Amino acid sequence: MNKKISGMILNLILVFLGIITVYPFVWMFLSSFKPNKEILAFNQTLFPQTFLIDNYIRMNKSFQFMDLFFNSIFITVVTTFIVVYTSTICGFVLSKYKFKGRNLLFGFVLSTMMIPWSVTIIPKYTMIQAFGWMDSYKALIIPAMFSGFGIFMMKQQIESIPDEILEATRIDGANEFYIFHKIILPLSKNGISSIAIFQFLWTWEDFLWPYLVINSQDKQLLAVGLKMFNGQYSTDYGALFAATTISIIPVILIYIIFQKQFIAGIAASAVKG
Amino acid sequence: MFKKNSPLQSKSEIILRNIVVTFMIVFFSVFLIIPIFIAFAGSFHEWNPLSGTYNFLGFENYKNVLSSELFLKSLWNTFIFATIAIVFRIILGLGIAYAIYCPLIKWKSFFRVIFYMPVVTPIVAVAFVWKFMYNPQIGVINDIFGLDINWLLNPDTALIAVVIMTIWKDFGYAVVMFMAGLYSLPADALEAAVVDGASPWQKFYYITLPLLKPMTLFVVITSIISYIQAYVQILIMTEGGPGTQTYLTSYIIYEEAFVKYNFGYASAIAFIVFVITAGLTLISFRVSSTQK
Repeated sequence: MNKKISGMILNLILVFLGIITVYPFVWMFLSSFKPNKEILAFNQTLFPQTFLIDNYIRMNKSFQFMDLFFNSIFITVVTTFIVVYTSTICGFVLSKYKFKGRNLLFGFVLSTMMIPWSVTIIPKYTMIQAFGWMDSYKALIIPAMFSGFGIFMMKQQIESIPDEILEATRIDGANEFYIFHKIILPLSKNGISSIAIFQFLWTWEDFLWPYLVINSQDKQLLAVGLKMFNGQYSTDYGALFAATTISIIPVILIYIIFQKQFIAGIAASAVKG
Repeated sequence: MFKKNSPLQSKSEIILRNIVVTFMIVFFSVFLIIPIFIAFAGSFHEWNPLSGTYNFLGFENYKNVLSSELFLKSLWNTFIFATIAIVFRIILGLGIAYAIYCPLIKWKSFFRVIFYMPVVTPIVAVAFVWKFMYNPQIGVINDIFGLDINWLLNPDTALIAVVIMTIWKDFGYAVVMFMAGLYSLPADALEAAVVDGASPWQKFYYITLPLLKPMTLFVVITSIISYIQAYVQILIMTEGGPGTQTYLTSYIIYEEAFVKYNFGYASAIAFIVFVITAGLTLISFRVSSTQK
């Protein structure tokens, strides 16, 4: 009986903390359907009294917000694919091949994760100018092609694939490119989905780099657009809520679809690392 | 460097390895090593791309940084910000993870998914949501608690308000990490404790907690590294204000570099941050290895 009560209390505490966790999202989402009059009203309700999609229409009309949204989708998807591929292939080489300098190289990759963004961003910015890549998507994609974190994660993942599987296919005459694409890639699904989600999120939320290297508004990405939009329409709260909702909801949807592989992958890497 | 050392090594293995290693070295040299050297050299110069100046200054930038009141204030703010955020991250993370781990809880994966949600949402957007929630005119925080505080404009509450938002955003990471740690604990140690008649509290304090030390250290180190670099919430929510109440060190770097274009001065601060990060990380490792 005692156990039952403490279980109930524990469950209630967790439910309460869960509500606090999701409340800001729910509030933002529901507010994005309220007319401005209601958002500014003295007595506020969580659910909209009058339900409107005007905010979304206005947000897009005055700012072409959806163009930025699709720019962000494009850059994010391309970068995520590249990073997943490079991380997996580097992780494969670093975990399954023995060669001189391997540990040194891996140690170096690990140390890249400790370097603050603020140390390298100024030189990277001047280099992009020198390369003539300003205002082009090269500046967003090429410097992001390899990820120290991704390589680290994939090395941990691929190490757990037994060598016997690889040896067996090698004896059957398969070359390494075949082994990588047909065996390693399909067997590293958990690691791949966690990197994919992290990379998706990091590219999607990155503010400073696109702000620095992209000048034309029609090429700009969502995170920068959201800040600019806030500067220009700082009193049109309804439209701001709509724009913020559009910036958050796709990421949450992707997270909910992939959460299982994702949490398994991230947890596994931390326990082993 | 690429010599053959196993008879089983095939030609395709050597080709693949050479391609991958070459690409990695070239990429990290161009976008990491060379920039570090450029920034280091730049930190000894008066470097402004707008006026085209690049004059040698010696240690002048470092001297100016270390005697700048704003910088020292920002170090203090960063210390407060990071300490509170890390303490809450660990306490909430460990507490919630242990509660979910406990057999009395149903819907374990449901809770895990919920608590992790803020971690995966974009910080620019989330900082705006909280900025709106703190807004005394349209926000819900004053409504819910029946308060009348202008959170982000009041010097006494601004930094705390940003810290609360940061804790909300990040505690789920610690929950998932500690859950992973809990599920990988050796079952025999825990069973032995129960057989020996340990109470649940004793079991937690004497067995579980020490075994979770490596994971705690991992969370602390990754938190230190990320909080010293935090600036987005400041940029969106307060821009350092009111006054200098919420200036974090990394936000000064952003402002000096890309608002005022003092690249040399900003690089000097960046290197100081780098040294502090590396030092704190080393200390954390030391502390953990002496306690083992």
